[in-house]
Amino acid sequence: MRFKASIQNITTFTKLTASLNSLGPLAWVKLSDDQVGFTIIPEQGTQVWASKDSIFETYTVQSAANNVINLEVPLGPLNRALRSALNATSAQIRLTKRDNMPLLALTIVTTSSSNSYSAFPAGASNDDEFGPAFDDDFDGGNRETIITQEVPVRVLGPDTVAGLHEPQTREPDVHIILPPLMQLKSISDRFTKLALTGAREGSTTRTRIDMSANMHGCLKMSIKTDAMSISSVWTDLSNPDLDPNHMAGGEIGLAEHPSTRMRLLGSADGRSEEGWASVRIDAKDWGKVMSVGRLGGRVIACFCHEHALILYVYLPSDGLEDESVLTYYVSSYSA
Amino acid sequence: MVVLNFTLTPEAASKVHDLLVCLGKFSDTVAIEARRDRFTFTALNSSKSAYAALTLDAKQFFTRYECVPSHGGSDGRFTCSMYTKALLSVFKSRLHDPLGRDGAIDRCEVSVQDRADETQCRFIIKMVCNQGVVKTYKLTYEAVDVMHALFDRNVAKNRWSMQAGAMKEYIEYFGTKTEMLDIFAGEDGRAVFKSYTEKVSNGKEVLKHPLVTAVAVNTSDFEEFDVQPGLHIIISVKDFKAIVVHADTMKTSIKAYYSHPTRPLQFSYGSGGLVCEFTLMTSGDYNATAFAPTPTPQVTGRSMSRTHSSATNDHRGMPPPVEPASRRSSRRELGTSKKASPPKPQPDSESLFVPDEESRWEPANYENEEEMLGWDASADRDAGNFPTFRDTGSFSRADDGSASQGQSESMEGIAASQHVSQVQGLGLW
Repeated sequence: MRFKASIQNITTFTKLTASLNSLGPLAWVKLSDDQVGFTIIPEQGTQVWASKDSIFETYTVQSAANNVINLEVPLGPLNRALRSALNATSAQIRLTKRDNMPLLALTIVTTSSSNSYSAFPAGASNDDEFGPAFDDDFDGGNRETIITQEVPVRVLGPDTVAGLHEPQTREPDVHIILPPLMQLKSISDRFTKLALTGAREGSTTRTRIDMSANMHGCLKMSIKTDAMSISSVWTDLSNPDLDPNHMAGGEIGLAEHPSTRMRLLGSADGRSEEGWASVRIDAKDWGKVMSVGRLGGRVIACFCHEHALILYVYLPSDGLEDESVLTYYVSSYSA
Repeated sequence: MVVLNFTLTPEAASKVHDLLVCLGKFSDTVAIEARRDRFTFTALNSSKSAYAALTLDAKQFFTRYECVPSHGGSDGRFTCSMYTKALLSVFKSRLHDPLGRDGAIDRCEVSVQDRADETQCRFIIKMVCNQGVVKTYKLTYEAVDVMHALFDRNVAKNRWSMQAGAMKEYIEYFGTKTEMLDIFAGEDGRAVFKSYTEKVSNGKEVLKHPLVTAVAVNTSDFEEFDVQPGLHIIISVKDFKAIVVHADTMKTSIKAYYSHPTRPLQFSYGSGGLVCEFTLMTSGDYNATAFAPTPTPQVTGRSMSRTHSSATNDHRGMPPPVEPASRRSSRRELGTSKKASPPKPQPDSESLFVPDEESRWEPANYENEEEMLGWDASADRDAGNFPTFRDTGSFSRADDGSASQGQSESMEGIAASQHVSQVQGLGLW
């Protein structure tokens, strides 16, 4: 079993691990020939399925099981290790063993040029000729440091992960591009705080957020408690068109798609009672999901009325080819 | 009757703040030893594996310094012990601010009131601020005898020195929950600082194991590096971090002196009339399987020779090698048999990674009361939700367990001027 790669996009990888870490401490990482899969399946709350093809380059993965390696990786230490590579000149990751324990070893090379050191050479006189002084500065200014970070991992057998499947959901009733997540997050955080303030006296009820959207560019977020009801409505968002070439059943499938029906209902000012697909989600869980905003991706939310909310987060890619996508499965609660 | 008066510039007062922050990471109490020509803060941690002595030079560090000990002539001294937190609440941060903003002072005047005809003995600190405001703090202290750890640099043949700023970069790579630091002199022109933790159990627990971080540095990046190749020496990573962070505030370089594992190591640095020396116990090569854990907790107390400081000058030689080969086993023993100071959960304040806008993406913490909305005026709110200062009861009791246990035998002669627990009104903790 061999895995070795150099990390191409340290910043994205770091942010990705940070976002995933807010949903659960452990990730199932699937390394295969063409891509890396990250999956978080917490006991409760939102699942994430992500695949990324542009994190690593010069990539070797070999195993007896079709060159696929499955690992269980603690995201906190991995994130911490990656953060020490943010200013690195190069970073490599490989699967190795020490004392029979598998671990992911990151080897990070940094050249530090921050110089409390060479800026004020202690006791060195500057009256010397230029030559040696220049050499000294040059050496001092390029201190190469090699950092090794060892993240403990567990290797998962093929049978362990065989039972794990991406959730199946029905076709969504409404799909919509979400407003900037920072805006959405600050409003939902504020709502949640208000709801908790009202509920503080001894009740243990969970705080739920009602999220609805229609096919006319409206998104509504509301929270109701005994004491209050607040809501916020966005309009003029975009409902992307579905591509019939990617639909089961082509044009006919598109015509029969639930979203086509929903498009006939409701209005663009968000005042109509009709045409909304709604889900009720856990407020704290939502706060964790919003952590993905740091990656700066475009987010399409798919609403399956009273069933589930699926977020597709498309990561901006510097390449021209296919974007990487993170899929969040947020459950809808009945109460 | 002792006379002790001195005055500090704002810069010096802010240096006192920095050193108290550092000493606070070793012990709840600091001991003070004032002599005619110098003033020393010392601290000894609860497991007695780390000792710090920070000496302020009478002429260089102070604008005015006068110390006339009550007895002992030219070699006499005044010693006492105080809570680090109490001193820190007086020597706050930002005492020195060139722009004269909030908290900045003009000078700091300290005197000790320790006379038979006074009812109260106090350590009096006057912060003279701008606009003629004078803040006067009267702190209680306990008269104690001060112990010093002995360290003979002649025996410590292995030495290196490096800019604290560079070392601070290295400690920022370390994981948060590690315990040990292995300083290794490689044979390939590199030195390795490795932070790690002893193994936890197998199975699922493996994934909770903290990060192991090794930082390999060219020995040419050291200002001086003269260490026997292949030598591993192991100290506590927490102590190391505290020292490096403090040395970095002084923009100086740290010198290390050591002989071999299980013998003490000393870090030393200083500038501007402040000399800092930290003597730490070490353990050996963590990879070597040779040593069997021999739990002998009682001997660790001797690791710091409890010698009256006046005797230190003519004393030669290092303390006997008392630390068991496996420091870890003794540490664990200490943790259970003695009362170790309770671990304080701290945010990783020394982190390289400043809480920039990344933190905005973290899930909101609704448990944080300060962040909550509202103006809760109801009388029946749960007081436990609000951070309050502890009263003295638990605090001083925890201290009795370890610190004064060791000190009690050397405290004969001078009674405590006042028990800290009798003083309730100061509201410092």
